[in-house]
Amino acid sequence: MSAAVMEQPAQTLTRAAQGDQDSFSELIEPLLDPAYRLAAVMLADRGAAEDAVQEASVKAWRNLRQLRGDATSLRPWFLSIVANECRMARRTRWWSVIKIADVDTQDKPQPESYSDLHRALLRLSPDDRLPLVLHFYLDLPLDEVARALHVSPSAAKSRIYRSAKRLRADLTMEEVF
Amino acid sequence: MSNENFRRELNRAFDGMAGQHSPTLSGRIRSAIARPPAARSHYWIAAAAACVIAVLIVGVLFVANPLHRPTSNVGGPVASPSASPSASPSPSASPTASTAPFQCGTTYGPITQNGPLSAYVSDVRTGSHPGYDRITITFSNGAPTSVEVRAQTNATFTTDPKGEAVTLLGNSGLLVTIRGADEHTNYSGSTDFKTGYSKLLEARQVQDFEGVVQWGIGLSGNTCYRVYLLKNPDRVVIDAQTGT
Repeated sequence: MSAAVMEQPAQTLTRAAQGDQDSFSELIEPLLDPAYRLAAVMLADRGAAEDAVQEASVKAWRNLRQLRGDATSLRPWFLSIVANECRMARRTRWWSVIKIADVDTQDKPQPESYSDLHRALLRLSPDDRLPLVLHFYLDLPLDEVARALHVSPSAAKSRIYRSAKRLRADLTMEEVF
Repeated sequence: MSNENFRRELNRAFDGMAGQHSPTLSGRIRSAIARPPAARSHYWIAAAAACVIAVLIVGVLFVANPLHRPTSNVGGPVASPSASPSASPSPSASPTASTAPFQCGTTYGPITQNGPLSAYVSDVRTGSHPGYDRITITFSNGAPTSVEVRAQTNATFTTDPKGEAVTLLGNSGLLVTIRGADEHTNYSGSTDFKTGYSKLLEARQVQDFEGVVQWGIGLSGNTCYRVYLLKNPDRVVIDAQTGT
């Protein structure tokens, strides 16, 4: 996936920034799966995750001119929009309707089939899950994780390690990186 | 557990949470992009109006100051600088006139105060002034919940979480411990200042972990210092007395 995005010619990005929807779709298509996975883990709600990705895509489309750098910057930039969208979705959810998925993750006892790690993951806040998803699940290199989190690479490393330690207290830095 | 095992188990858990998105997602996005944004325009107008009203309310409250809150907040054994602290937010700006006494070799605090879950350090600066060298740690979103300064008779500090001993310039030191803070979200400046001043020789971050920020300060001679906790912006100011 990553190679496909990185090899997008700059012209596609230029055309997309000039308003060519097909070019934008061509760029964004390979990013939808990681974006959905990121949103699904952050929101623990698959329907809401798809909505967040859709909303993030529209925002990316409208603000593509604000993207700094070349096509390789697109992925962390887009994922950071998705993460923001998830935060906004969670913020609006508490005063609107309590969705069934919320009840599932918060109140209902978790299934026996869940591993300890899975349970620990559900107990983490979405913002603590974010660096773990980016680094482990989406397999992003550290500099892209940093760009998606808007922090320095060393701060990103620290956040990944801190979140991983919350999952398993005895983890060492070597086991995480 | 090895790196690979941890990664594998974690990804299995993530897979369980995420599953697969619906095959129609891509089509939904294409049609959402093709939709003109005009339908949303009234939301933007409402949002802009709300922002203007909010700014007006905040402005009126700020000017009127109905609760008559003081603009500076000082804890511990020192008094507030007599001049307005907001007039000199930077250690490099002209220092505030102050009658606060210096304390020598003792511990300051911990002073606790209300603050956000994590106060983000946004700036760290040092400066030299007649009578003292200063370090200022500024926060962008509120004050940290606890500040403590410990004097020590050497300039060796232990980094956390690595646990390594680091020796700074100087032969005495101050360990500044700020709880409820982090220095990696909003701060990208230097974490090791070698100042070249006569008293405060070096300041170095020794911890930024689990909501605790620590700075070690290497001094020459005695550890006579004073601490200010100031507002607008929220900052911790430490002056090390020169000539001692």
